[in-house]
Amino acid sequence: MLDIAYETVVAVVGITAILASIGVIVCASPIYSALYLIGNMTCLALLFLLYNAEFIAAVQIIVYAGAVMILFLFIIALLGAKKEERDTSSLQIPMALSFVVLLFGELLMAMTVGKTNPVEGKFSVDFIQQVGSARAIGVELFSRHLIPFELASALLLVATVGIICLAKFPLSPVKRRTR
Amino acid sequence: MGFLALSFLGAVLDKKQVGLVACSAVGLAFLVAFWALTDLMNLEPAERIGHVEVLYPWITSGKFHLDLSVLIDPLSVFMLMIITGVGFVIHVYSIGYMNDDPEYSRFMSYMNLFIFSMSVLVMAADFFFLIVGWALVGLASYLLIGFYSEKRSAVLAARKAFVMNVIGDVGMVVAAYVIFQNFGSLNYVDVFAKAPEMYLPNSDAILLITFLLLVGAFAKSAQIPLHTWLPDAMEGPTPVSALIHAATMVTAGVYLIARCSVLYELAPYTMYLIATVGGITAIFAATIGLVQNDIKRVIAYSTMSQLGYMFLAVGIGMFGLGMFHLMTHAFFKALLFLSAGSVIHGMSGEQDIRKMGGLMAIMPLTFISFLIGSLSLIGFPLTSGYFSKEAIIISAWHAPMGNIFFWGLAVVTAGLTGFYSFRIFFFAFMGKQKDPNAHPHESPVVMTLPLMILAFLSLIAGGLGHDVLEFLSPVFGGHVPPHHEDGLLEGITLTLGAVGVIAALGLYLTDEERVKFVKDMLLPVHEILYRKYYIDELYDFFLVQPTKAIGKFLEEKAERQGIDFVVDQVAEKVKETSEGLSQWQSGKVRVYALNMVGGAVMILMFLVFY
Amino acid sequence: MGTDFILFVSASVFCIGATGFMIRKNPLVMFMSVELMLNSVNLLLVGFSKELNSLDGQIFALLIMTVAAAEVVVGLAIILTIFRTRHDLDVDNINTLKG
Repeated sequence: MLDIAYETVVAVVGITAILASIGVIVCASPIYSALYLIGNMTCLALLFLLYNAEFIAAVQIIVYAGAVMILFLFIIALLGAKKEERDTSSLQIPMALSFVVLLFGELLMAMTVGKTNPVEGKFSVDFIQQVGSARAIGVELFSRHLIPFELASALLLVATVGIICLAKFPLSPVKRRTR
Repeated sequence: MGFLALSFLGAVLDKKQVGLVACSAVGLAFLVAFWALTDLMNLEPAERIGHVEVLYPWITSGKFHLDLSVLIDPLSVFMLMIITGVGFVIHVYSIGYMNDDPEYSRFMSYMNLFIFSMSVLVMAADFFFLIVGWALVGLASYLLIGFYSEKRSAVLAARKAFVMNVIGDVGMVVAAYVIFQNFGSLNYVDVFAKAPEMYLPNSDAILLITFLLLVGAFAKSAQIPLHTWLPDAMEGPTPVSALIHAATMVTAGVYLIARCSVLYELAPYTMYLIATVGGITAIFAATIGLVQNDIKRVIAYSTMSQLGYMFLAVGIGMFGLGMFHLMTHAFFKALLFLSAGSVIHGMSGEQDIRKMGGLMAIMPLTFISFLIGSLSLIGFPLTSGYFSKEAIIISAWHAPMGNIFFWGLAVVTAGLTGFYSFRIFFFAFMGKQKDPNAHPHESPVVMTLPLMILAFLSLIAGGLGHDVLEFLSPVFGGHVPPHHEDGLLEGITLTLGAVGVIAALGLYLTDEERVKFVKDMLLPVHEILYRKYYIDELYDFFLVQPTKAIGKFLEEKAERQGIDFVVDQVAEKVKETSEGLSQWQSGKVRVYALNMVGGAVMILMFLVFY
Repeated sequence: MGTDFILFVSASVFCIGATGFMIRKNPLVMFMSVELMLNSVNLLLVGFSKELNSLDGQIFALLIMTVAAAEVVVGLAIILTIFRTRHDLDVDNINTLKG
């Protein structure tokens, strides 16, 4: 009974995520796209929660749905939410769609291959539930994965310096080189 | 100790504009290395080897496993002590030397990069990171040699050094590949443990590996025939010459052979090759050094010559002695270079020893340190050079793999060393001032203080000989090399050294007429030596000119008549096609994205269906 | 249901994101599409992390989030700068790289 309820929730949330992502790309106005993206991210956070990754779910909500999307909304507010006109002339859209359909088909094919030589770790569901997701991740992150963690922090620092440079020294208008 | 290593790397990576920060980073690194040293000293000798600190398991792919790890054993800590210690002193010195350079901070950050790369090189626990450090060191030296980028000769010298080093890099990479093929691992510990069991001495695989590694070592350490970059590298600022081309980088080759001593002991043939090349390089460089007029070039040739000694030492199986000479050489050669830099600084950039003279009274501190450096270089009794060089020369005769040929090379070189080092000494410091326009002055204290430290080390380091050998012995199979006593041989060496000095004294301290007379008498020899045995010309003649000639021939015959016509036609068609294609290159991000996804689809199709 | 479903959702979201990146002209929406793609990979990693009883996938997801955050910040700053200099938000008009 519980299993069926769980499966149903997973299915509903997953399909909502897909629908929301379709919403992101079909809305003409960027503000609606942003709202759909928030919806998509929330769904993904729920899926993370259902898949035993409480910590990642929390981070997803805080970082993505919180910080990143607020940034998006700010920028949209700053630049104005103009509707974009569709391009009707070029081959771009049909080409893109056919490529993506191919890609999706290939991904589905790849899924049918099944497991190849999996390496089982020691963090079973029970274990994680026992010690807590945040604690398990913390221990792993600060012991085995310390260096990537430090590098990530360095990356954030570099990004900060980069945007300060961009914001502080405005570029001069682009001049086209004549050929 | 893992944290220790990490903090060390972090400290060196820290590049800041101010010299103070750069210096303190290296100073801190030195302290950490010192701490590691005391840690090691507290362990029993047998426990001292093979402390591999795994920082991060990086790549695991099938059989191939790669960890980001550092090796802490007597050899790496010993090298670290030298690199960071001498590096620190040189950093302090460059504060003074580069003080009025507009690109001071760029210089300092390159120097820090160099120290960092060198630390990666010596602390690597496997051949992969050895190569990473190796290439990084090559890059750092390229940047430093070409530091005066507005000077064409400097840029050319930097390029030459880089190309020569890349020859070595290729050797190293291929060696690593062969090692992985044979041992299934790149880890020092695994490889060295397996090698004696898997292979007989002088088997093909071992010979191949050792030879390929040797190519790398020769390129880095400027041994014949890959030596031509080192003298040209003197175009860089003097602290660079001291840091890279005397104290640390060029010794990487010696370090490499010492590190792989297990492999080399299995390959006596390669050992003979090393010893022979080392001995020949020693005497070859010393003879060229006799006639050069640029103060830094003379010291550069003397460096090559001393490196020859080190290779000779490791070539006859005296790894500990090679490392010991590496240490004393780092001290006294850095001292010599920095003193020379002080002279150049005082003479406002003049490097030609013929224009110097009478500096003894004006620059007393530099004078004393240069004197100590020279004495140490020629192996004057009780200076550090005496202990290490003398030991090598005597071992060249007495060690199991030594013979009279090696000894002869070494001992003649000792005589030549005496001559050329005192030649520049007399030129620069004695006699009268030759250029009336120069206004030499003593260097500031931030430059003389490092000189004094290094002078002190050059004097006393020799006494550490036995301790160093004992400290390093676990790495080299656990035995301290026997100390050979042979008063007669020692006497011969000293006499020859003294003869060299006296000859220089007799020639250059008296009058110019005699110099001229001797020069005229030996004119052909002088010319050959001055032209460095025409090695550069040989390269030019055998490699560059034929290539050019072939090129010219092809240009005249094949190119003009045959190919040009076809090419013109092809060009027309290509032009037409590319005009069509350039429509594709629309500059629009979305179209590029479309193409990218298209490519991904193709690749995935291949993966899925194949 | 289980990992297969997660794979399906992930593949769908990825493809939708790729489509969005290719057919939209507003750089903000293009960025959102990139976020979709990155997120779908996160989902995949978390799914496999559970499947294989390993935390490595979750840690990778964490690092991807860091990278994505940095990328969004820099990207939006670039968009802002472009807008300041050109007063135009259509990527098709930005074709200085045209060959």
